Amino acid sequence: MDFSVKKLTDLVAFNRRNFIKLLIGGAVGINATPLPWKLMDDVAIWTQNWPWVPVPARGAFNHSETICTLCPGGCGITVRKVDGRPVKIEGRADYPVNPGGICPLGSGGLQLLYTESLRFTGPMKRVGARGTGDFVAISWDEAMQTLADRLAELKRNGKSEALAAIDGNRPHSSMSLLIRKFMDAMGSSMYARMPSLEDTYATVNRLMFGIDAPMAYDLEHADLILSFGCGLIEGWGAPGRMSNAWSLWRSEPLKGKVKIIQVESRASNTASKADQWIAAKPGTEAALALGIAHVMLKDGLYDSNFVANHTFGFTDWTSPDGKSHRGFKNIALRDYSPDVVSKTTGVDAGQILSLARAFARARAPIALCGKGKGSLNGSVFECLAVQSLNALTGNINKPGGVLVHQDVPLQARYSAEAKGPGEPLTAAGLGEALTADKISVETLLLFAANPAHTLPDGGGFRKALKKIPLIISFSPFRDESSLMADLILPDHTYLEKMDDVVWPVGLQYPFYGLTQPVLKPLYDTRATGDVLIQLAEIMGGRVTESLPWKNYEELLKERALNLFEAEGGLTSHDSSRPAWEPSAYRKVLKSDCTSPEELWKKLKAGGFWYRPFQRFGWHEELFKTASGKFEFCTDKLEKAGADLAKTLENDRDYPVVMAPYELINLASSWAPSPPYLYKTLFDSQIRGKDCFAEINPQTAGEYKLKQGDYVIIESSAGKVKALVNIFAGAMPGVVYLAFGFGHTGYSDFHLNKGVNPNSIVAGPRDFLTGMSAWWRTPVRLSKTKA
Amino acid sequence: MKQEEGKHKYGMVIDLDKCIGCGTCMVACASENNVSVRTDESDKERSIAWMQLFKITNGKPFPQTEVSYFPRPCMHCHNNTPCVSVCPASATHMDYHTGIVSQIYTRCIGCRYCQAACPYHARYFNWYDGYAFIQPFPKGLERQLSPEISVRMRGVVEKCSFCHHRLMRARTRAYAEGRRELEEHEYITACAEACPTQAITFGDLNNPKHKVARLSKSVYAFRLLEKLGTEPKVYYLSTRNWVRRMADNYRPDQLEPVGAVKT
Repeated sequence: MDFSVKKLTDLVAFNRRNFIKLLIGGAVGINATPLPWKLMDDVAIWTQNWPWVPVPARGAFNHSETICTLCPGGCGITVRKVDGRPVKIEGRADYPVNPGGICPLGSGGLQLLYTESLRFTGPMKRVGARGTGDFVAISWDEAMQTLADRLAELKRNGKSEALAAIDGNRPHSSMSLLIRKFMDAMGSSMYARMPSLEDTYATVNRLMFGIDAPMAYDLEHADLILSFGCGLIEGWGAPGRMSNAWSLWRSEPLKGKVKIIQVESRASNTASKADQWIAAKPGTEAALALGIAHVMLKDGLYDSNFVANHTFGFTDWTSPDGKSHRGFKNIALRDYSPDVVSKTTGVDAGQILSLARAFARARAPIALCGKGKGSLNGSVFECLAVQSLNALTGNINKPGGVLVHQDVPLQARYSAEAKGPGEPLTAAGLGEALTADKISVETLLLFAANPAHTLPDGGGFRKALKKIPLIISFSPFRDESSLMADLILPDHTYLEKMDDVVWPVGLQYPFYGLTQPVLKPLYDTRATGDVLIQLAEIMGGRVTESLPWKNYEELLKERALNLFEAEGGLTSHDSSRPAWEPSAYRKVLKSDCTSPEELWKKLKAGGFWYRPFQRFGWHEELFKTASGKFEFCTDKLEKAGADLAKTLENDRDYPVVMAPYELINLASSWAPSPPYLYKTLFDSQIRGKDCFAEINPQTAGEYKLKQGDYVIIESSAGKVKALVNIFAGAMPGVVYLAFGFGHTGYSDFHLNKGVNPNSIVAGPRDFLTGMSAWWRTPVRLSKTKA
Repeated sequence: MKQEEGKHKYGMVIDLDKCIGCGTCMVACASENNVSVRTDESDKERSIAWMQLFKITNGKPFPQTEVSYFPRPCMHCHNNTPCVSVCPASATHMDYHTGIVSQIYTRCIGCRYCQAACPYHARYFNWYDGYAFIQPFPKGLERQLSPEISVRMRGVVEKCSFCHHRLMRARTRAYAEGRRELEEHEYITACAEACPTQAITFGDLNNPKHKVARLSKSVYAFRLLEKLGTEPKVYYLSTRNWVRRMADNYRPDQLEPVGAVKT
């Protein structure tokens, strides 16, 4: 035994020799097995298969056609789906407004549907302090009953006027009509819409043309476009249509034949990409337009035939009361010589002369009024002055001009509609009731509106909200105004419901579209249209009678069916033949529907109706003003002109001007920005928690500001802090802040990003309407540390 | 090893005169390709954008200042593709049959050599699991993911694929219909499809019937950093000489102006 044990210990003795043998033997042995390779592979697979990395479910692909309603542009979209789950939004080629293209907001729309923290997932009531977003879920029955009881109580106590509604739906839309009818039935006149450029256009069309139809520009046939601040490629009008038009102007055969001139104080995308940029001081666009009119009148470069036969107020006139009034010619010639205008606007007098001559001599020139995207009101003075230029060239209701339409032939039998689309939120009416020291409003209903963030009032509305005892929001999104609400009755998002799109802004032909739900609602939300009709049912009496429909779809159908009566309406579109093509719009085409039911069926599949025909000329019967002619509204021009001089006076306390601007790749209206949009912003626009203010190098030098410094921008309404972005394209003496930042609501993607320029907007209001003149706020700058 | 020229050479022409800098290409690309999104997208060293917009200015004082934009996808370099030549894991490859430079996430070992090698900064590293580890977790957003593109995990590099899955989709359809060749409109990238001004044109540079083949030979056509000799398959068009000057490091006398349009 002794012998064998010894032998064994010799063999396995732990010495250097055996250790190396073991090591080498082991290494060779393991490598001869598949073990290391298998392990390496397993580790690689394991690191790529964390359970938290989602694997998108496979399934059958299909798509639904509908219309995007995130802005008033009404682009056709197709939603790509996997087993009914939307995965992508694309533009739609068989659609007249936007042949295939789409904008960044529309493209990212699915994130507004899916980001849960952005939405109210069901009816809720507030439990925490206002603005904290502390809500608890309640049932729809409880929510409806709470609201109905409150409304009944107001009615019983004879306090109908204490019920107010703010409506962010577009004028002429069925939702807007329904809300107005509901408010009428409740006996309250405290209804106001969120102001937009559409209101300014409506005001001007009412004053000058005497009609209520939307503004219609035949841009595709114009050869000179003089835009006074419209962000032509930055979201103005119907963005899908505008970008397509832009592409046409920059492609053969139109390339180089259409001249685009942009009047704006900042080197925006539109100003840079235009053929000519005229830098006028913010708020002086009207003076520039009248300066151009001056040169046209002086040189005799205007359509004397149109002016003599179809306009009123061109020469001095006396009203029946014996008062004499100055005519347009007199005002423009006496008050707006190039030298005077040059001083007001900062534009060189020679440039005004050449601009006026180029404009007057073009074959089909259009002068456009508006500001940025048009999601806020414009200046009525500017629009009156600019529209006067179109009258001077006589380019009204002609191809390539301003077209005058009657409205979309939807049913107009309801009293609410007969009174026009309703007033925007201004200093008067509801605005006054909300800003008074003692607020008379006791219950406020918010529909698709976020006035706490988007109203350019220096934060006035935000303060007013705090004083209203009960706020009810119908928003599907956790916007700033809804976070102040006590009761939430969330609507579906735009992809989950049926609604109508009436005439995208600026389009030259009447258009009506119907959105269709592309999926079943994801959460416990209800279409606000249906909720209002149900509410009316609970209320009983007059309220029930005023809203006689079973559901919202019935109202939509009742209105839409009237389109069948209109001659020449089309429900299909061939992308190779644009709706504005002369062959389509010069003659009445045969309608492609044989019955109202067929029309409804087509509309319900995300369809549309449009009528390309336009009756050109016809100036004798066109205008519905008191004089039956185009009216120059000289009294208003004169008054506004006198007021303008006052607002431009230098303010010693606030020597710099703050001018906010809108970005096409950041939402600044009620609908939030899809998180993807923040990818498209540059690091000279937002960095971490801070957004940038654009300042000219010269102005920055005066304040010793360098790129990336912090600057405090202070107006009489408040102050904000931003980073400095030195930008040569900024006008000296003006500081620019972008709209769409500074959210305190929505989701983590939106919070703590920059500041909201609306919170410091201050200064004189628009002289003619009392609306905010947000485009020019006197401010002072001071450098600060982080 | 020099391979033979393939039959197709897919490429892109971007007309900068038509480009309005709206960013639709970026959003359409991100939503097509399951690109992740973070709560702070201003952190450009961490954010991912296969298609990235760059803003340029002409450097002139007010009011002669002008801005313009360069949308930048992957250039799909045709010659000595810089990223392919450095990849130690064979995770990226240029397919000579289509000209598309691919990226295979499951092969990528995250060394980021390709990112350093790419002269166009077109490659992005996943510092996080895009759809899982963003703080706070964007609940519900995973529902937008398309099954056609794999969701990337942290530790791998990703980049524009010229929407390669769209080529597969178009091929599958064509084969099912008994065709071997694709029509021009059948395969286009998501950015080209979404562009509202039709500034982006996509097609086969080898096929003279395709619009891109004609446009890439325009006198106004140029590519980024052409002097490197990587033969990018993304061309730009601009009539503005100051924009063309931005494409490379030219000496003041080096770039011949084309035409008499804006300098």
